[in-house]
Amino acid sequence: MKLSDVLETTKKEPHCGMCKVDFLGTGVCPAGKKHGFVAYWPEGRMELARALAENEVEPTKTLIDIVNSCNLCGICDRQCYFITQRRPTQAQQALKDYVKTLKPNTFKPIPDDEIVKDLRSIVGNDWATNDPIIIASYLRSIIRQKSSGNFYIVMPKSTEEIVAIVQLANKHKIPFLPRGNGTFFGVALQTLLAEPCSIEQGIIIDLWRMKEIHVDPESFTAIVGPGVTSFELQKAAHAHKLRANVAEAESHVCANAQNLGIITTWSNTYGWGTDNFIDAEFIDSTGTIMHLSDKDIPNPYASEQGLLSLSLIPSVIVTQLTLKLHQILDDEEAIFIPFTNLSDALDMAHNLAKRNIGISLAVISRKYLTEFISPTHEIAEDFNYIAEKYLKLNYIVDVICDKYHKKIIEELAEVTFGQSMLKSLILGSSKLASMKESSLLKMIAEEENPLKAVFGGPMRKHFEKGLAASPHELVKVFDEDLRDFFEKLYSKPELTDPVWLHSFRILPCRMERKHMWMYRGGYMPGDKETILKVVDALEKPAEKYHIEGDFGFLSYLERGKLAHLEYDYYYDHTDPDARKRVNKAIVESWRRQFAIKGVTPLEFICSKGLHRKEHILYPFPEGLSEEDLVHFEELIETLFGGEDTW
Amino acid sequence: MVKYLSEEWAAQAKKKVLDELDQTKDLKNMNASLLNVVQNVPPDQKTVYFYIRFVDGKLEELLASPDESIKQKNAEFTITGDYTTFVQISSGQMSSAMALLKNRVKMTGNKIKAFTITKPIDTFNMCIKKIETEY
Repeated sequence: MKLSDVLETTKKEPHCGMCKVDFLGTGVCPAGKKHGFVAYWPEGRMELARALAENEVEPTKTLIDIVNSCNLCGICDRQCYFITQRRPTQAQQALKDYVKTLKPNTFKPIPDDEIVKDLRSIVGNDWATNDPIIIASYLRSIIRQKSSGNFYIVMPKSTEEIVAIVQLANKHKIPFLPRGNGTFFGVALQTLLAEPCSIEQGIIIDLWRMKEIHVDPESFTAIVGPGVTSFELQKAAHAHKLRANVAEAESHVCANAQNLGIITTWSNTYGWGTDNFIDAEFIDSTGTIMHLSDKDIPNPYASEQGLLSLSLIPSVIVTQLTLKLHQILDDEEAIFIPFTNLSDALDMAHNLAKRNIGISLAVISRKYLTEFISPTHEIAEDFNYIAEKYLKLNYIVDVICDKYHKKIIEELAEVTFGQSMLKSLILGSSKLASMKESSLLKMIAEEENPLKAVFGGPMRKHFEKGLAASPHELVKVFDEDLRDFFEKLYSKPELTDPVWLHSFRILPCRMERKHMWMYRGGYMPGDKETILKVVDALEKPAEKYHIEGDFGFLSYLERGKLAHLEYDYYYDHTDPDARKRVNKAIVESWRRQFAIKGVTPLEFICSKGLHRKEHILYPFPEGLSEEDLVHFEELIETLFGGEDTW
Repeated sequence: MVKYLSEEWAAQAKKKVLDELDQTKDLKNMNASLLNVVQNVPPDQKTVYFYIRFVDGKLEELLASPDESIKQKNAEFTITGDYTTFVQISSGQMSSAMALLKNRVKMTGNKIKAFTITKPIDTFNMCIKKIETEY
């Protein structure tokens, strides 16, 4: 197999980093676990295969080691196929075949320079490198593609080692940038945000090795190092019947708290920003260790608003967080309230938020529901079509609550469905997709209220029965050699348990299986009028620039006083024209959002200090005036050049 | 070739801006004063102050000196960063706004006003980068 044979796959690799998380119980890539550098993980091997195919890097001897460290065990195929339908072993096989074609003198020698020697003296010989082959695996997920800078990768094990690395970088006057799992970089670096997000030369501090995790069940807290993923923390918390408010499974907890404040559907009860943690240890740009609990640190509340307050790079490196954990109740269950239009869904969700109903509460889109629970993108598309055309199902108020709140919701809502129906939809999704032209669906569509008919009326039983939901049926859509594995997997209760799925968040990366996405949205007052204006402000640029745009999820904060919206642009990041269009849509969406009073786009919440809470949203920003908009255009041009350069 | 942040460099920079930039079209008639605090300037890692003041788009003052008394001019904006970053800005490799975004410089002053002068300041930097400079 040639590298060019797998180029389409490797180019589209989204750097989600899920291959570093044991989310299916298969274990993770043994070579990645042993060597740590991204190049030894499936994600990095794919990037390496792409960079070699596109002549962006020359082989070094390390390539032989990377290739030989993989025994094609297939763990990555199971993991990656579950999320993105990709088979990383194909890229690995192509790398193996490629190396066989090279003559021994092809491999470029890489001399150690003084900086890499100094880095090794800090972290040990195995954990620092200036080898271009390893560096190439970090392309598109912290280093810009085709960057010509001089880079080092270092993997510290302790806070003290990071201090020494920062001091070394300062001594040599070179930049440094920490990397968690690279998910945010993987998304942002495909857009015009690449420059402010990335490092153009210097030291990349890969935090993967710092996996300290300690749960204290007495105080309901957990102490985590910066290499701990959301999934790993949640697993440790669940062992004590506790839950953390965490982002997507693969995201590093410390990095997410630092960058985005950990905003989730659980934020309805658990909050966001500083609500999530009690103390933090961090290192400033001079290499000084500080704690949030220290008396003399710079004001941790300090933050700035406005267009010039944008900063996508953290000003400190968080090396430890003490997080709050929350009790899991015995009677928690999921309840879903389907809606045809957004306005009604917002009314219902806001009503619940005001009354503090729902531990987890969000309005999610049809797109999220169908993409997350369908085993393939094609099935998701068919499911999406059916939901829209026949079921008139466009939005869902998605709640995890106790039995008392469930009763209240059932009283308030005209129609609901629960765990049993969701399980049928997950396991029956392939069957549902095959029913696109069925008479049953046509009958449902003719009902006065199809949602009520299918989820609350007499047709419910027929519908569920028609789905013939079972793991055996579902896995028929998978590659044949993976079916046994996935049948066993889908037989596990947690894979169809919405409470577990909301806690562990292993499904959101499925958004990336067809195309790259770009997170839009931000924070705003919780009134419906503002929210609908923001949705429109995000929808319009997508339409104008022919980008697929869709509502993602909306959560309320502070009992409905504030709202956080995620709206997504989907595009093919390997297509230069699509990238240009998405960049134009991003800029226009900023312009439109800034014109609405009270709205702070997501990027302007990033890296705004650790002790961040709603105070950074006040006073509600005034919408930009016409004059401000002219300056906005100028700022964009100064930062990113003209449209032609995007 | 003049040494970056030397008196000769400052004189050439001022002349170039006055000769080449239009007060209205390029410098937007801005009224602003900025103090750049350039740290770790080689060879002895001292701090050099680089001060500029515009009145109605006209560059009235451009000074570069290690003398701390420049601070008494009470500039509206103070931008602090390492020598290597200011070299990138003054040589046109990175805009000052991008340096701010990348946390390479710290700025104090009214950010609302700063937002309105980003473009003319960038134009100023693009002009002085044309000086043959020894960094």
